[in-house]
Amino acid sequence: MKTAIRPDHRALAEALRRRVLEGPGETRPGLRQASAARAAGGPATAAPYDDLARQTGEAAHRVTDAQVSGVLTATGSEKATFEIIAAAALGAGLLRWEQAMKVLDEVTDASA
Amino acid sequence: MRLPEIERGDGFVNRLLISFISMVSGMRLPDAARVAFYHKDFFGAPLGAWTQAAMRGPSPWSVTERELMACMIAKWNACAFCVGAHGAVAAKEMQRPAVDAVISDFRTAPISEPLKSALAFLEVMTLHPTDLKAEHARAALSAGVSREALTDAIAVGTLFSIVTRYADALDFAMPTPGEFERAANMLLKRGYAS
Repeated sequence: MKTAIRPDHRALAEALRRRVLEGPGETRPGLRQASAARAAGGPATAAPYDDLARQTGEAAHRVTDAQVSGVLTATGSEKATFEIIAAAALGAGLLRWEQAMKVLDEVTDASA
Repeated sequence: MRLPEIERGDGFVNRLLISFISMVSGMRLPDAARVAFYHKDFFGAPLGAWTQAAMRGPSPWSVTERELMACMIAKWNACAFCVGAHGAVAAKEMQRPAVDAVISDFRTAPISEPLKSALAFLEVMTLHPTDLKAEHARAALSAGVSREALTDAIAVGTLFSIVTRYADALDFAMPTPGEFERAANMLLKRGYAS
């Protein structure tokens, strides 16, 4: 009888983080990392990336065309603009992943 | 703002694929699928791998329960596209009024107590992540949610905290209710791996 193997969420999260924030792309990994950190409530980064990353993290449904087109103009590339949006979205998601797994580990490690 | 390159597809093969799927399905390929094809090695492939595992892999939660979680993460992020898309998938197994009841107020909806407890955890995680405390995890575990089940719910919550953000930043076009229903069939059949 086959036993279904559970997903290794930690490994999958780490693979996603490393690819988007450290892997090759049209933008520098440092800029993607700063955008991810900004979307997770971190320090301001350079304009015009800061505004788009902050807004994507706080309330993406309020992202404006001007915020996206500002980054598009600065990078001159749709793929680079997409990378900044993806990095910011990922930063906001991983903040939640880390916080949630931290509290779950606290509870289950204490009862182990 | 929608990026034209995502709309039409990057590269000849992807443009062909988008046209073909749109023709066969009889509807415009939703933007979520277009993004999955776009700059795939950078984002679509690693995100799709985790999403497929979290939404369709082995879990104490049914596919419908995970789709409901995705729908609620979307609601808390005010992402109309994802509420429509994942509510439509959940409605393939549940009655539509029950899905609507969850969206309206999951605490009074006709769903299991463990699912309500997982959603209560996900609500704090989504809206106030830095306020999450051990007591929130303890409450879910006390309601019968196992560690594995809560981990799976957290993975769904994380993924849709990401998806809803790029969906809104990229201004995904809103399908009609009928198109959402057809797209739900595709999501159930094909899953999330791009």
